[in-house]
Amino acid sequence: MLENELFDNVIRDINAGYWQLHTDPDKEIWSDKFYMDLGFTKKELKSNIDHFLEKLIHKDDVEVFRDNFLNYRKNSVNFKQHIKILTKSGNYKLFRCATNDELPVNIKSEVNLIFFFEIKLEPEQAITKDNFYYKETAQMTATGSWYVDFHKRKSYWDFETKRILGYPDDYIPSLKESANYYAKESRQQAADLFFNCAMAGTPFNTEIKMVTANKRIFWVRAIGKPVYNENKEIIGIRGVFQDIDDTKTKELKLHKSMDIIASQNSRLFNFAHIVSHNLRSHTSNLSLLVQLIEDIEDPEEKIGLIKEIKQISSSLNVTIEHLNEIVTIHTNKSQEKKVMRFQDTLSLVTNGISRMISMSKAKIEVDFDELDEINYIPAYLESIMLNLITNAIKYKHPDRNPIIKIKTYLEENCKYLRISDNGRGIDMKLFKDKIFGMYKTFHYNDDAVGIGLFLTKNQVESLNGKITVDSEVDKGTTFTIEF
Amino acid sequence: MSHKIGLACIIDDDSMYVNLIKKIIEAKNLCNNLMVFQNGKDALDYFEVILNNLDKKSIPEIIFLDLNMPVMDGWEFLENFTRIKNKLEKTITLYIVSSSINPVDVEKAKGINSVKDYLVKPVTIEDLEGIFLNQTT
Repeated sequence: MLENELFDNVIRDINAGYWQLHTDPDKEIWSDKFYMDLGFTKKELKSNIDHFLEKLIHKDDVEVFRDNFLNYRKNSVNFKQHIKILTKSGNYKLFRCATNDELPVNIKSEVNLIFFFEIKLEPEQAITKDNFYYKETAQMTATGSWYVDFHKRKSYWDFETKRILGYPDDYIPSLKESANYYAKESRQQAADLFFNCAMAGTPFNTEIKMVTANKRIFWVRAIGKPVYNENKEIIGIRGVFQDIDDTKTKELKLHKSMDIIASQNSRLFNFAHIVSHNLRSHTSNLSLLVQLIEDIEDPEEKIGLIKEIKQISSSLNVTIEHLNEIVTIHTNKSQEKKVMRFQDTLSLVTNGISRMISMSKAKIEVDFDELDEINYIPAYLESIMLNLITNAIKYKHPDRNPIIKIKTYLEENCKYLRISDNGRGIDMKLFKDKIFGMYKTFHYNDDAVGIGLFLTKNQVESLNGKITVDSEVDKGTTFTIEF
Repeated sequence: MSHKIGLACIIDDDSMYVNLIKKIIEAKNLCNNLMVFQNGKDALDYFEVILNNLDKKSIPEIIFLDLNMPVMDGWEFLENFTRIKNKLEKTITLYIVSSSINPVDVEKAKGINSVKDYLVKPVTIEDLEGIFLNQTT
């Protein structure tokens, strides 16, 4: 028992393990804390030096400790040393052991004590702490780390990388098959990035599509940088994957709606010009005609000119009708959509122009296997098919009968209709920007009005679709509609 | 009028407009001959033939060019025409006559050397008379 109360208090406060020496070796005492640190009960251990040296202390530390201990007991020579002691669980614990004079605190005691402070390894503590923050950060930001080791030819993923990619915790990533972790269209990009990083040390920070274990394609920000050894050789690549699918998908949606808005805007602008231009050409003719009528003396000639007004008036009507058609597309788009079978619509269209088809000896090849119906405004689908088919016949190649191929298909969740012909084609270099313009015609046909494709484009776009064209002179033309 | 224009040329796809201009020219006796092309391509083909067998009488002294035309529009015609017009060894005055009031078009036209002026439809009879008269003095 401790005789000094102050000392007693201090000892209790710091809750230390200690060994109280006694002139009678059998009466030496180990503190409760010391037993606790080692995990033994008082009954399991004999609190004497022989037992301690024999059973508890690590053999590396035996000699030094024995010398220090005996020296302290006999000659009161203070000491301090590190010592490893066996615990109940069978492991050695590291202690800093010191006599009371060697302690930094000023403890005066009548008795001789050896203190044992367990050393909880500082660095390990730091790592656990960092580990905690790192894990939190990784989970909260969905950012996984990875490392590719060139020497061992292995890649390593942390728990979050595995989670993002949907693999179990014990999954071992394959370096050989690493291309398969990326979406098909992103594999080249990934290969380029890793190659450049491995060979030239170019770090990367990019957005790329990856594939999860259950084949879901999603967007990832991939950041990587080379790892060097002492000889400045690149020995691996270290980096992170962050799941950015939500934001990226939103961004893409935003882009798409921006594109739609931009195209709607340009269509409106285009329309304003069309209105201005088309009406203007009639009114200017009218004004020219009036001038002429006023200027001419001969009454018979005057009457002849007045008849021209009729002509202008009817052209004006046609123009207004065309403009009306365009305006109705945009007011009609709330019209009810219906699930339409492509084949039914096509039959309707081809029946309507059966004469034109048989006269031109046109052959229509149809493939609706992949996608046989669509939810669309029936009148539009009909009008789109009618326009593209009649175009293909009207502008057939002079040397051959028209063959029109109509196919529907699915690609990346989008529905497509493709109509291609073997007609005379359009010179894309000259007319690429004008094909879908109003009153643009590219051929000498008398019945070319230049309104069909303009209407088709407007109909497709009013339902948020897209129409594109590819053509080669003398080969044919292909229109692709993305619904 | 000391000298009357021998040959004028209209490149325009609006047959009504062409018809009316023809009538004005006839009524006012503004020139001896008038040729009409429905688009830039037809006109360009004509000039390229002329180039091969230079016949100055077949080269118009004045051209009225529309911008919005099928097959080959006015701009494209101008591009090609500028390339060959010096070889024609005759001064040709070219006016753009368009119903476009788009300032972009007007500016673009002013930037082209071979364009004398940009006329917005409708043109008046006085305008036409002025142009033909101006040409002859």
